[in-house]
Amino acid sequence: MTGFAELLLSGVMSGLIIGLAGLAVTLVFGIARFSNAATGDTMTLGAYGALLGTTLTGSLIVGGLVGLLAGALAAVLSYVLVFRQLANRSPISSLLASIGLAFFIRAGLGLAFGHNQSVFQLDIVRPIRFLGLRIQPNDLKFAAIALVTLVIVFILLHMTPIGRRMRAVADNPLLARVSGIAPRPVMFTLWSMAGAVSAIAGIILGMKTVVSPEMGWDMLLPAFAAAVLGGIGHPVGAIVGGLVIGVAQELATPFVGFTYKIAVSFIVLLLVLLVRPRGMFGRVEGVR
Amino acid sequence: MLTIEKLTGGYGETDILTGINLSLETGEILTVAGTNGAGKSTLAKAVVGLLPRVNGRVTLSGRDITRVPAEQRARAGIGYVPQTANVFAALTIVENLEVVEGVKDRKQRIAEMFDLFPALNERRRSRAGSLSGGERQQLAFARALMTRPDVIVLDEPTAALSPIMADESFRRIGELAKTGTAVLLIEQRARQALAISDRGAIMDAGKVALEGPADNLLADQRAAELYLGVGH
Repeated sequence: MTGFAELLLSGVMSGLIIGLAGLAVTLVFGIARFSNAATGDTMTLGAYGALLGTTLTGSLIVGGLVGLLAGALAAVLSYVLVFRQLANRSPISSLLASIGLAFFIRAGLGLAFGHNQSVFQLDIVRPIRFLGLRIQPNDLKFAAIALVTLVIVFILLHMTPIGRRMRAVADNPLLARVSGIAPRPVMFTLWSMAGAVSAIAGIILGMKTVVSPEMGWDMLLPAFAAAVLGGIGHPVGAIVGGLVIGVAQELATPFVGFTYKIAVSFIVLLLVLLVRPRGMFGRVEGVR
Repeated sequence: MLTIEKLTGGYGETDILTGINLSLETGEILTVAGTNGAGKSTLAKAVVGLLPRVNGRVTLSGRDITRVPAEQRARAGIGYVPQTANVFAALTIVENLEVVEGVKDRKQRIAEMFDLFPALNERRRSRAGSLSGGERQQLAFARALMTRPDVIVLDEPTAALSPIMADESFRRIGELAKTGTAVLLIEQRARQALAISDRGAIMDAGKVALEGPADNLLADQRAAELYLGVGH
């Protein structure tokens, strides 16, 4: 029973990371209207940024901020240099470009940092015992960072004028334009947010495990599955979807093994697309 | 106020508008009628800046806005109520009004809109997607009026309304014009629309086939037979 509860806890942690990546996917899909396959590699870039920042300054906090800024900057640049140029074409063009961009980021990181695994030098702390469960104090910190990120994103989207404009553009881009909403500030905010959220997911993942150029790419399928499960374009849905997939993956580990647990994401994705394509929180598109 | 000269354009390579000349003065209602496919909604999109390809000239108060993006036209004083998808369904009623850009004294203007449409005030925290057709139309009007536009373009505002709601809608449009707002009214209920209008234009195949004072068009035998439907 304790083993099951610990798997559940571990699943929640993985789920928060998957959920953050899914949130970045769903934010971009909701407003820019394509699935951004560079999300995973933006995560990796954030992790390497944080690693570099931590190495140079000796501070995890400063390192984390460097990683966050690196992710946001990379996302904004990808919008300015690639996705804005493709805005008037089919979403497939942007999707394909994002796959190319993902390869480009990964190759660049491999060139700059090599393909060996790197680790954050975190203090080794004794696990907390709670109701017979062993809980890593760092996991609690990571969960707190993930939750604070979610709260900030929620506040930005629902309690600020730019967030309102973003939701308006997501809902009806043409009506937003004839309501005087300029697309450019909305898109810059969107890409900054998506990049920062991806970077935070990557930093947490890197601190929990190891940092390598492939780490983010491996997270892409679970992130897409979380976004689809939650209802594409629905931020809260992406987080809930991430938690469901994270927990499902961890609980499946004793049966399918660590290597194949990622297949759970694929099965969830497939089932959702077959049974309920609009996901848990998605609404029927199109109104009169 | 608003002038349209030799306007051509469309969505792809084919011109849907094949040479439109129209003008609209302050406080005037101009009804644009015509058969389906005549190019009425395309004309509306060209005026508000949503038509991808246009040639010719559109001016607002003497300023050439032909190449001005839609969001800047909205801020410059052109309001628009599309025929469908005319509210932000995922936003609340009050958010639909708050989100509009280019509004002076935003809080006061929202209060004015709720005075004008009291039914909206009662449900101000409801999502726009949950509103009935009539309420949604009121919200669409309120959203477009937030900027106190000089010109408002209404694309078939009564299309989804019952006859009673349509009458109410026409009454409001008449009152709106009395405040000085020029109204470009695209309507299938052409007779009712012309009855509250100063002038009318009837489009056919991307051109203005007939134009003149609304009363003259209503009395015109050819217009009645071809475009307005015979009978009263």
